[in-house]
Amino acid sequence: MRKLIPSSIAIALLCFTVGCRSNNTNQVEITLSGWQANPNEGKLLDQTIREFEAKNPTIKVKREVINSQYMDVIRTRLIGEVAPDVFYLEAFEAPTLMKFGVLEPLNSYIKPDFKLNDFEPNLLNAFKRDGKVYGIPKDFSTLALFYNSTALKNAGITQPPRTWDELRTAAKKLTSDKNGKIDRYGMGVVPELPRQTFMIKAFGGQLVDPNNYAAFASPEGLKGLELVIDQYRRDRTAAQASDVGANSNSEAFGQGRVAMTLDGAWAIPYLKETFPKLKFQTAEVPKINDRQGTMLYTVAYVMNRQSKQKDAAWKLIQYLTDEAGMKRWANQGVALPSRRSVLAGLNYDRNPIYSPFVSGAKYGTIWQAGETLPTIVTSFDNQFVSALLGQQPLPEAMKRAQDTANREIYLSR
Amino acid sequence: MTPAIVILGAFLVLPIICAIVLAFYRVQLLGEVDFRFAGLRNFIRIQDDERVWIALQNTIQYVLIVVPCQTILALLLALLLNAKIRGRSWFRVAFFLPTVTSSAVLTLIFMWIYNSNGLLNNFLSFLGLPTYNWLGDPEVALKGIMLMNIWATAPLFMVIYLAALQDIPESLYEAASIDGATTWEKFWCITLPFLKPVTFFVITIGIIGTFQLFDQSYIFSNGSGGPDNSTLTIVLLIYQYAFNRLDMGYALALTLILALTIMIATLIQRYFFKEESLD
Repeated sequence: MRKLIPSSIAIALLCFTVGCRSNNTNQVEITLSGWQANPNEGKLLDQTIREFEAKNPTIKVKREVINSQYMDVIRTRLIGEVAPDVFYLEAFEAPTLMKFGVLEPLNSYIKPDFKLNDFEPNLLNAFKRDGKVYGIPKDFSTLALFYNSTALKNAGITQPPRTWDELRTAAKKLTSDKNGKIDRYGMGVVPELPRQTFMIKAFGGQLVDPNNYAAFASPEGLKGLELVIDQYRRDRTAAQASDVGANSNSEAFGQGRVAMTLDGAWAIPYLKETFPKLKFQTAEVPKINDRQGTMLYTVAYVMNRQSKQKDAAWKLIQYLTDEAGMKRWANQGVALPSRRSVLAGLNYDRNPIYSPFVSGAKYGTIWQAGETLPTIVTSFDNQFVSALLGQQPLPEAMKRAQDTANREIYLSR
Repeated sequence: MTPAIVILGAFLVLPIICAIVLAFYRVQLLGEVDFRFAGLRNFIRIQDDERVWIALQNTIQYVLIVVPCQTILALLLALLLNAKIRGRSWFRVAFFLPTVTSSAVLTLIFMWIYNSNGLLNNFLSFLGLPTYNWLGDPEVALKGIMLMNIWATAPLFMVIYLAALQDIPESLYEAASIDGATTWEKFWCITLPFLKPVTFFVITIGIIGTFQLFDQSYIFSNGSGGPDNSTLTIVLLIYQYAFNRLDMGYALALTLILALTIMIATLIQRYFFKEESLD
């Protein structure tokens, strides 16, 4: 009992001070979670946040970086009701979160002076469901053809390939073989669905049917994918990163082990910093079947429905995505701003390195396809690799991938 | 007593009961929490799930190769270190080092070694042996993880064997020598029978550990279980269902199946060891 009294006094005091602190000021704290592609990007965002805090003294923003398994962490936190107030969301993951109603619809917050029409409609639509807007796209990137200018010049190729046939011819010339071991491949390939969906669409194939079942194994879908397999298996002018001992496609390109590759705008700062001697340029993805195509990736700021500080959260989203806010941190070159006016203002369309990415936004295939996509990706990636390695013919592999995915989707419904 | 019961109950018994009960439910955790009784549907679904069978096959293949290899290697190392060689304690430290390294670090180092232009392939081509794409080829990816795991866990079991070896009374060997037994006979008739309980322990722990393979194949394949499902293990599959697809009920059903498999494997092994000790 004697010990109990002092400790209870201590506890009471503690409660009192805690109470005081929250009553004392009206300051609220909100959390912003996201990933970080490079330290520079983080510095810029921190700076923007400090400016925001200076303009809104009652709001304090805690920025949190989750770099590995981002969505697993966010989903688990959403379940545990400790999710951040504002967080990044990839278009690919949006359908699931929108469906389960864990995101706050933003329609009531958006005022006309926010100019929602200024956003590239393709990007905004990725975060809409039943007429409600659940996220404000912060930026986007498309795929473009990166090519090693030195290698192309040495091989006597004067201009980057414009069609897929030209690309294959160029890749043959660029593949160099000294003493029986290929030391440079013409093309770097990433055999994953997020990079290959536009190949499925190139001849009119579809990734999913209206009921969100996988539908990529159609003859039209196979035609596009066959091009990738043919180049890898028959021409032997393409390589995966692991074939040439690199950790990523961008690294393989930077090291000069592949002379061309399709990659996003995020690779530009990386290549410039890590491989300063490398001379590279970009071009639009070569036409396939006389049609332009590429992938389109976007990320939005979304608000947690369970957030207790929704007004403050919206103020932050607005600050980061309105015209002035987007300009403030869009010129770093990791991804392109999603507002058309900002994009135009940065003159990216006239910058030779960035313009192919900008043009891709008009015809790109957005990386999103309903809430069954995670199942489809796993299944596709597994079988596509085995077709690439020649363990089974492509049509068989894709049929299996489609059946496996659809059985899983059916069983989980 | 009460605090112990409360803590054990909250962190050990309760989760087990929850897992068993929820395996019969469809659980929807994101957004509106929703439980629906599903009966045996989660278990019936396992039958139709191709990936479960691939994962089970991979895991069993892994257990069947890794457990004997690491046990024999551990025994050999222990015998070697038990012999009176010079610099014995130095060797003990050197052999034990891999166990001290965290498995994540270990995997990253090995991925660097397995790289197609990495250490291992350079070594193999130096010897004129065929090289492999250890990380990208489904045929060899799992073998790569096996090699890594044998290398990393054998030392731990080596220490256990070493302790047991030093418990064998020297007088037995002396008596055998007087009877004219060869070194081989001494090993076969004295050392091995004496090590039987330890071997049982080593194999049991080995089986449980290998059935629960997760971190290495997770890092190896960046969470996908690829290339071509070749490094997919049961625990990795459970992780994918539970945290990527949020299909908690089904993941729990798979967990129960894994627990059952491990129990059966242990029982079978116990049965064999009992049989032998009778004669």
